[in-house]
Amino acid sequence: MITTPPQSPPRPAMGETTEQRLRRLEGQWKSETEFLSDAGKIVEHPAFKAIIALGDPVVPLLLSDLEARPSLWVWALPRITGENPVPPSDGGNIPKMTDAWLKWGHEKGLR
Amino acid sequence: MSERLQAAFPGLGTTSFQITSPPDFNYNCIAWAAGVVSDWWWPIGDARETYWPEGPERQITLDAFIAAFQTLGYAACGNDSLEAGFEKIAIFTDPNRKPTHAARQLPNGRWTSKLGYSEDIEHELRALEGAIYGSVVLFMRKPL
Repeated sequence: MITTPPQSPPRPAMGETTEQRLRRLEGQWKSETEFLSDAGKIVEHPAFKAIIALGDPVVPLLLSDLEARPSLWVWALPRITGENPVPPSDGGNIPKMTDAWLKWGHEKGLR
Repeated sequence: MSERLQAAFPGLGTTSFQITSPPDFNYNCIAWAAGVVSDWWWPIGDARETYWPEGPERQITLDAFIAAFQTLGYAACGNDSLEAGFEKIAIFTDPNRKPTHAARQLPNGRWTSKLGYSEDIEHELRALEGAIYGSVVLFMRKPL
């Protein structure tokens, strides 16, 4: 159940940079999922899936966001990279998950 | 800010409520009902993504949520009345009885909810019923 029916799939706008597209999709995703607790529905939202589809170029932007503040980008990064540096003991602890991804980004030379 | 919440939850427009925290990604309503602000509680399959207590199934079923709160000492009870010596929680489900939300009763008899990754609010219990969270279907209590 979401706040408003999602637009599926979000349409890319002509001439957008990766960051502009990310911010547009992020705004749509947040406005339509902010009141949900269901992590499955949050990551299955069309705008979140469109962010994942941006692929590797969006990873440094997500890591930069995480550096500023822990966020649910920790659920996007495994779906983009195919990796997950978070130990099961830290699952659900968003700050610790954020730390694991920032360490991963440092090791990959992405931050 | 209040208008945004009232638009999403029309019941908040006809009852009193207060925003009691800023938005926060670090915990959700289930964690908040359990008294936790360090984890996102939800029973999806990958334990590296969300927290769920050891024991209860990682399934989005009412039984799994009941079992999760039982690990904290809660037991099902019949109503939302304020009872001395007990703390109560209420579980909301959608029409298919899939859990969507949980709220916790405060000592003053009102209820507190974390709204997804948005704010915490103090509210009348039924004010959150509607399109997003469905309806309250179950109460549980534990001794204080």
